[in-house]
Amino acid sequence: MNIRNGQSQITLPPAVGNFRLFFAAGAICILAAFAARPSFAADQPPLRLNGHAIQVQKIISSEVKLPAAFQYAIYENTLEEIKKSARFKTVYREGDKAAAGAADLLVLETDATGFKEGSARERQVTTVAGATTIKVHIKLLDKDGKVVLERDVQGKVHFFGENMNATHALAKSIAKVLKENFIAPKPGATS
Amino acid sequence: MDRYRTIVFLCTIAFCVAFSSAEANAQSAPPNEHPGRAVHILGFADAPKNLKCTLVVEGSSLKLKSKGHDQEVLLTSIEDVLTGADSVRAIGGTLGTISMFGPYGSGRFLSLFRKKTSTLTIEYRDADGGYHGAVFSLDQGQSEPLKKQLVAAGAHTSVPIEQTPATAAKPASGGAQ
Repeated sequence: MNIRNGQSQITLPPAVGNFRLFFAAGAICILAAFAARPSFAADQPPLRLNGHAIQVQKIISSEVKLPAAFQYAIYENTLEEIKKSARFKTVYREGDKAAAGAADLLVLETDATGFKEGSARERQVTTVAGATTIKVHIKLLDKDGKVVLERDVQGKVHFFGENMNATHALAKSIAKVLKENFIAPKPGATS
Repeated sequence: MDRYRTIVFLCTIAFCVAFSSAEANAQSAPPNEHPGRAVHILGFADAPKNLKCTLVVEGSSLKLKSKGHDQEVLLTSIEDVLTGADSVRAIGGTLGTISMFGPYGSGRFLSLFRKKTSTLTIEYRDADGGYHGAVFSLDQGQSEPLKKQLVAAGAHTSVPIEQTPATAAKPASGGAQ
């Protein structure tokens, strides 16, 4: 303790200062890693399916009122993430006429089953409150309408970011489910 | 060191006060100051995400104008136009991230300041019949006039302009009408 001009001042050794700095940096890294992370309702063994083409249907919300912006964002982000996953040679949008001629076409149906709109302000101020959660039930159907794959998936934004980031997390989760259950197409294969 | 911290703290408060008054001024500004100025969130043709742009209804198409990223969609292909309300952090982007490291929880304090925005969502089909959903963020009160323009020029909407709620939600089926 240093005493100057009658006032006491605690001087911490440099090692303590460094420790605090590293601790803060570590905490931030952990929070960042968990923010808007994709999560799954259930873990099931991978199926190792084959698929050449997939058509993504627009999002329906039979059980909850999902704002239009969220529906569109989930749809567009899902298309993007499935393309990135490289498990299908061709990814079609709903209504695309070219999909009619595609062999081994699978259709992805997404139904929103849960939606809790949090508050970005609450998240940023309190860190622990105000999470946004979107839950969906996805179904992958073949040309005969037979269900090939069915899962409950959810996307969350916990700590940082705007509510819309939950749609990106959800899309990533959907793409991850497909990636885990499908094997990558061979380079020579055609759809 | 104490003096330095006090100075930083006072600067942060001064910055916040200045910013909040600027925000108040911005909210009281007339709504048509920058008509069509928007941020493309996603989904409009091949435009990149989070692109600052201007939306203009010209002739028979809706045009997104931005340096090097001009895109357009035919109004007749637009199946639904909806508006909604949202808010974004007043200090966003890189500066917003840096502010999180401010002393005395000043980053969290700055998070309290949010700017109200309106959203414009457009559902359309491309030349192959593929369904697209585009989302734009506009200044507060800007999406309704643009929706009126779009509908007047030939775009469809499932929520008539007179009955448009503050936060548009799609019907239970989720499909366009």
